[in-house]
Amino acid sequence: MKARASADATLCSLTKTWRASLLAPSVALACSLMPRFLREILIITALTILGAAFSLCSGLAPLPWAEPVLAPGEIRLIDARALDVLWVDARNKADFNAGHIPEAICLNDEHWETGVVELMGTWLMNPRTIIVYCGSESCDVSKLIADRLRESLPDAEIYSLKGGWNAWVQ
Amino acid sequence: MGAINKKSLFVLIARLVLAGVFVMAALPKIEDPITFTNSVAAFRVIDFDLSAWIALFLPWLELVLGLGILIPDIRRSSAVLIGLLLFSFIALHTSAWLRGLDISCGCFGYETGGPGTNYSWLIARNVVLLWFLFLVLRQDMRNNPAAPSS
Repeated sequence: MKARASADATLCSLTKTWRASLLAPSVALACSLMPRFLREILIITALTILGAAFSLCSGLAPLPWAEPVLAPGEIRLIDARALDVLWVDARNKADFNAGHIPEAICLNDEHWETGVVELMGTWLMNPRTIIVYCGSESCDVSKLIADRLRESLPDAEIYSLKGGWNAWVQ
Repeated sequence: MGAINKKSLFVLIARLVLAGVFVMAALPKIEDPITFTNSVAAFRVIDFDLSAWIALFLPWLELVLGLGILIPDIRRSSAVLIGLLLFSFIALHTSAWLRGLDISCGCFGYETGGPGTNYSWLIARNVVLLWFLFLVLRQDMRNNPAAPSS
């Protein structure tokens, strides 16, 4: 054991001499710290990757390489609730009468003229974000109505609600 | 002796503030990465696809670094990386300010910021955090320059 310890001490001493003679002290210090620093960076990287993997596996985060969750011009209900909104119901009159978002205006192709006049009157009194909704995630009417409204009201901020009436009810 | 204790106490508080800020900033963004993706994309520095990757990894990195600055084994590397992040945030905010972007900061998730972001406040806040970080790193280096895992 003593012989082994002595050999180790000699080797260490030789290494130190070699370092001292060939490398500047600051470089030697950097070299001695670098493996530890790299090890720490590796630990931090691994923990970060594990966390991101948890987000992906648990469904907290969407896959970054997947199609965007929101199409252009769409807005989520959680974001819409944070805004002062003028709601526009693009479903038919029967569905509107059966239930709608409070203070929503019924506006669809069948009642376009009357609806758009009512909408403009309300919006001009108090300009705010306009959000159009239809029945569900699969309907496209809200997007079409939103596009038409953007032509009629170019100054307004207009979105279609992702998930439509179903999202509101849920 | 009393002065030394006061100084150490101040550095400990600075360390806890840094940890708290980074953990509090990370949690809402981990919970709602979609909103954070939009916030990152709004800076118009990188495209939307890359923003989604940033929104996936950055909050977790912030969480790990926020906790890491309290863990002896990784606290010095965590401090160095926090410094790099703070410099990046200052550069981003300055860039957005100079370009006249009226966007949400996204620093603490959805609830913070909004149109009319006060960039001077955001930059000043990050500079103060950088100063805290400098104090923490200086104490760590003085206490044990060769072995961070003390």
